[in-house]
Amino acid sequence: MGDVLNILLLQNTLRTATPVVLAALGCLMTQHVNITNIGIEGMMLTGAFFAVLGSYFAGSWVAGIACALLVGLLLGLFYYVFVIKFKSDEFIIGVALNIFAGGLTVFLLRNIFDVKGSFSDPAIVPLPTVEIPLIKDIPVIGPLLSGNTLLVYVSWLLVPVCWAFIYKTPMGFHLRASGEYPDALTAAGRSPERMKCLASVLCGLLSALAGAHLSLGYLTMFSENMSASRGYVAFACVIFGRGNPPKVFLAALLFGFIEALGLRMQKYMPSDLTAMAPYVVTVVMMVAVVLMERRKRRHAA
Amino acid sequence: MSGLMQSLRALARLKPAQKLTRDYLVSLLTAVLLALAVGAGIMLVCGHNPIEGYGALIEGALGKPRAIGNTLAKTVTLCLTGLAMSLAAKAGVFNVGGEGQLYLGAMAAAVVGAQVDAPAWLVTLLALLAAMAAGGLYALLPGALKVKWKVDEVITTIMLNSVAIYFCSYLANGPLKTAERGIATGTDSIMAEAAFTPLIKLSNLTTGVFYAAAVALIVWYVMSRSSVGFEMKLTGENDRFARYGGIRTGSLMLWAMVFSGAICGLVGMLEVFGLHKRFLTTVSNEFYFDGMLVAMIMRYSPFGVIVMSFFFAVLSIGSKSMELSAGVSSELILIVQSIIIFFMAAEGGIRKALGERAALRRARAAAGERGRG
Repeated sequence: MGDVLNILLLQNTLRTATPVVLAALGCLMTQHVNITNIGIEGMMLTGAFFAVLGSYFAGSWVAGIACALLVGLLLGLFYYVFVIKFKSDEFIIGVALNIFAGGLTVFLLRNIFDVKGSFSDPAIVPLPTVEIPLIKDIPVIGPLLSGNTLLVYVSWLLVPVCWAFIYKTPMGFHLRASGEYPDALTAAGRSPERMKCLASVLCGLLSALAGAHLSLGYLTMFSENMSASRGYVAFACVIFGRGNPPKVFLAALLFGFIEALGLRMQKYMPSDLTAMAPYVVTVVMMVAVVLMERRKRRHAA
Repeated sequence: MSGLMQSLRALARLKPAQKLTRDYLVSLLTAVLLALAVGAGIMLVCGHNPIEGYGALIEGALGKPRAIGNTLAKTVTLCLTGLAMSLAAKAGVFNVGGEGQLYLGAMAAAVVGAQVDAPAWLVTLLALLAAMAAGGLYALLPGALKVKWKVDEVITTIMLNSVAIYFCSYLANGPLKTAERGIATGTDSIMAEAAFTPLIKLSNLTTGVFYAAAVALIVWYVMSRSSVGFEMKLTGENDRFARYGGIRTGSLMLWAMVFSGAICGLVGMLEVFGLHKRFLTTVSNEFYFDGMLVAMIMRYSPFGVIVMSFFFAVLSIGSKSMELSAGVSSELILIVQSIIIFFMAAEGGIRKALGERAALRRARAAAGERGRG
């Protein structure tokens, strides 16, 4: 088992957790304005595709990220218009968005790149890895903290940024108010709708970024349905961390650890069984949250 | 009791039920035409002739008896999955886990079909029961979590989908893998005499349809003609009110979930006994999600679900021949279908927005008249 439980496992944990961290940060924005967004899955998948598209045609990872962010912005606006403006069922729109993303990416994959299944090409420029000068020489922590791809660091940075935004800025306060007390916000002369729009757009951007990390950071390719329910896992992490970025981050790390462990256990167990683990853990996490909350309430009473 | 029931009924009538009104059907038709137009636009951009593309689609779905058989078989699948969704949704629980329940049902049916040595009719019957039990029990877990601890069933059922699919894939690749050559990932084939026979030659439409129809009839009867169905409806519309009325809402939700799962298991069994004759990892391709969305946009109306299932079946069966003979990738149909769903989900909002704009225009026109006069 020594070849499973080593420093590489922790390295893999960080890598597999990153897309979930980014998507979960997006998801918690909509969660705070009281929208249950399960369309993150589709936003992530579309982001992953357009990141590859931009990187391939412009020959630069910057273009890939820009492309993904643009699409994320559009999807966020689209989600806002349908769910808030047209007052549609957020669940139906979310599921339909996921099916739409699945159809659109495969359709474009076949019509632009003329391949089925997956597309990888040397012309796709991956995200750069960042070596941190002094830290990289420290024995154990060095390889962990240094040499990751760019978006891994961005995701770490975004956790405190999102926390500060939500809990420490006036705008974050309005954002939360639009979910909890929309009438109070209206009375204060602010529009809850505008806050919900902001949350949807931020969710679209962050989910697309999560997708970009999948297709340009984690791997350098796009394959059909490559988001593989990570959007839903992100959702579960948000529930688990009660929408608080640092707690959500820890939940995502736990998920990443389980997935990485599964990947490294493949030598000893059939891969289908190890692949089940993250999903089982998510269900257990959901139950644990509810039970913990019940216990807390009983103590309070 | 009957007095209470009557007052409950009267109160239920007060709540404006979302029905398939004429306006809604007009919107539906508009959305369908719009989505098809978008599809045609995409074909033009990609350098295909839309008339040729849609022609190939209709030809492929309804051109030959065999094609019609396949389309009808697909319609049955969509209707049953839609029914499963409706059943749970009417009682106020969302079963998004039909895909996993379907896989387990298919696996259970395949195991019974291959392992049990009994007269053919008994094997079929046992496989049917095993599939429904597998699907139903698998739905029991998220159902119980929801009823007992209020764990959000949407996420748990989605997660359990992946768990079931990977588990079945493990069985089909490992302990239950067939020794037969040429089968990459699948179980042993089922007893040949126990399988359903095709009603139309070479098509997927088999005698399994009769089982599907029987189950659908029973569910329809329970839902719309029995007091259990009525209690279920009350629970789905307002569970606190139903509880005060003496209805045991928890167990009703649980049963709705279990039967919903059982129907999904049955769909899996129909696929195995009608089409593949064994469990294959490709037994379903998100069949449940299609049926689920059909049921949602048709507002769980049985007749509406049947009509829309047929339309979606034509699109999805026809899309394959559209790809083969007109060269348009079949995924285009997924885009068309999701556009229909987007617009139907937003139907009320769009109509209101359009209505407000028209009213504004009328008001401006009236003001203009007055100004001139």
